Amino acid sequence: MAQIPNLDNAPLNLKSIREQSQRELVNILKNIRGKKCLVIDPKLSGSLSLIVPTSTLKEYGIELRLLSAEPVQTECTKVVYFVHPQFNSMRFISSHVHDDASKGLQREYFLYFVPRRSVACEKILEEEKVHNLMTIGEYPLYMVPLDEDVLSFELDLALKEWQVDGDASSLWHIAKAIHKLEFTFGLIPNVRAKGKASVRVAEILNRMQTEEPVSTSDMSIPEINTLILIDREVDMVTPMCSQLTYEGLLDEFLRINNGSVEIDTSIMGAQQQDGKKMKVPLNSSDKLFKEIRDLNFEVVVQVLRQKATSMKQDYTEVTTMSQTVSELKDFVKKLNSLPEITRHINLAQHLSTFTSKPSFLGLLDMEHTIIEAQSYDICFEYIEEMIHKQEPLNKVLRLLILFSVTNSGLPKKHFDYLRRELLHSYGFEHMATLNNLEKAGLLKKQETKSNWATIKRALQLVVEDTDTANPNDISYVFSGYAPLSIRLIQNAVRSGWRPMEEILKLLPGPHFEAKRGKFSSSSSFDMSQGSLSSIDKVADGRRSLVLVVFIGGVTFAEISALRFLSAQEGMAYDLIVGTTKIINGNSLAETFSENSS
Amino acid sequence: LLWKESWEIGKNPMASNGSPLHGPRIKRIEKAQSLFSETKEHTFESKAAEEHAKLLRIQHELEVSTKQAIFVDSSISDTIRTCIVLGNHRAAMKVKTEFKVSEKRWYWLKVFALATIRDWDALEKF
Repeated sequence: MAQIPNLDNAPLNLKSIREQSQRELVNILKNIRGKKCLVIDPKLSGSLSLIVPTSTLKEYGIELRLLSAEPVQTECTKVVYFVHPQFNSMRFISSHVHDDASKGLQREYFLYFVPRRSVACEKILEEEKVHNLMTIGEYPLYMVPLDEDVLSFELDLALKEWQVDGDASSLWHIAKAIHKLEFTFGLIPNVRAKGKASVRVAEILNRMQTEEPVSTSDMSIPEINTLILIDREVDMVTPMCSQLTYEGLLDEFLRINNGSVEIDTSIMGAQQQDGKKMKVPLNSSDKLFKEIRDLNFEVVVQVLRQKATSMKQDYTEVTTMSQTVSELKDFVKKLNSLPEITRHINLAQHLSTFTSKPSFLGLLDMEHTIIEAQSYDICFEYIEEMIHKQEPLNKVLRLLILFSVTNSGLPKKHFDYLRRELLHSYGFEHMATLNNLEKAGLLKKQETKSNWATIKRALQLVVEDTDTANPNDISYVFSGYAPLSIRLIQNAVRSGWRPMEEILKLLPGPHFEAKRGKFSSSSSFDMSQGSLSSIDKVADGRRSLVLVVFIGGVTFAEISALRFLSAQEGMAYDLIVGTTKIINGNSLAETFSENSS
Repeated sequence: LLWKESWEIGKNPMASNGSPLHGPRIKRIEKAQSLFSETKEHTFESKAAEEHAKLLRIQHELEVSTKQAIFVDSSISDTIRTCIVLGNHRAAMKVKTEFKVSEKRWYWLKVFALATIRDWDALEKF
């Protein structure tokens, strides 16, 4: 089973992006002659493994290490570092160099910044007097294709950096990545953005276009028709809800990392070998997974059961009746899918041990009650009790954020009370976390009346009688709640921002719409002038392509909902997702706790 | 600006985790508290810092009296639980009143703590 997704069916030629990154990496390594030891930033190792399989690297005679405070143990005389420009890594590297020098080791050092060098980091190296000892370069990796329709910029702290620290460098990174895409696939003619960061990205993107234009003339039709930029800030409700799709649940309980989960071998049916971990790749190269990843988990169990029984039936038929050769061939073909079925039955079984717990069902119930926004007191008491029972902090914060966002803050008395109880139960060091959340507006004092009820009604976020087996609306991914972010996109694709301006105004941040390149008669960069026309169908009958970029991360459930949308009849677009990172409520809450950074 | 400064001070001692120098650490937190209290908007932060300092003192005393270094840097709830698990109900009670722990939370803590040491008799009586 391939670790790296095969991208043959992608609506956009993502393979070329991956191959380009691959070539660049290999070139860097080839240019350094002889045996070398590659030291990789742990945060980068996942994305690099999606570009070049580790086995390929070993073929080049490269030793692999992860960057840490420990000095590098290797026979090689050449050490190549691949790191994000971060101060910590610089300290590690300089201490390595000093350590080698004190042992009298003669080594050559190469340092590659991903995606670009930073003056501040090089300054540290200068201060440590190691700058002149190393060859410094850049490896411009701005995005990694995670799957046929998902691109990640791998910026896991983007949301926190922007909202809490006011650091906009990740926005530049996003714009650069999109601009790079435009060089390959043509200037994107329509841009729609909602949220402060999104509008900033759109502005930076336009500046890049003026400084370093993508020529519009020699490209007949741009491959990407529309770019939709959405701030996570606009919809903090959705990621705080427990995802109920198969892939979403896998992520909630087992954490999908760069397209695979790591689990105990015992779960996958292996005997003995206790405590051993194995990696299970999860991407669309696995046909069965492609079929079931976006379904509601309830349905997945049924589908798997069906597959298993039909398999059994075939088997009895084969053993009892005489078969023609071609029938046998069909049967053997089906048998080939057996390992996939077993794998997913094992995973699903493991998941159901979590989902059948009463505490999980209770939590789901509570999430829906909060979203319904009718029984404030019940929700408040539930959260209070969670704190008193000292349930995992991330779980509590998740629900609390959901509660605070839907009420646009908590009354001062409750706000202070819950904060105090939190500090008492989990320790005063979490003061910093609370402070971060407050700065980001996720947990705050109530100042204005909440308009959640209006938004909920206008966008039909709560759908009664959701049929999870034969869904007719995106609300199936949360069994009754339609993710706000996707509702916005649904409308934006259909008719642009204009018809729903009233609702957009209720959500945080400005919105913006523009046409670019030869398609615009004037540079329509002020807000009022945005074009009204819905996306025109591409003449030659191909489906046109919409790139949806989530600034601050996206959940698997939201991706599922988007896939559902583009699979609908009468939908003339393929959707591709770009994101700073795949997130879920837990990982998002974690980025705000101070010790994680 | 003042706020930022006091914040840094408040954070510093947390970074120097596990050091035996509790004295200076408590002083730092108290400094933070006084800085917080200079502005009106930060009464909550100021209160929290005050309680933090108080907690560290009590934990320090507890460690001296029990000769076990398990208290410092745990939360108030954890401290109470540890006390009950060790059978030191008086100390637990003292922490409870000192920080005005609500009855609700107190009951949860006591039930959990008694369950961990499998003191079913006490649980029954309680």
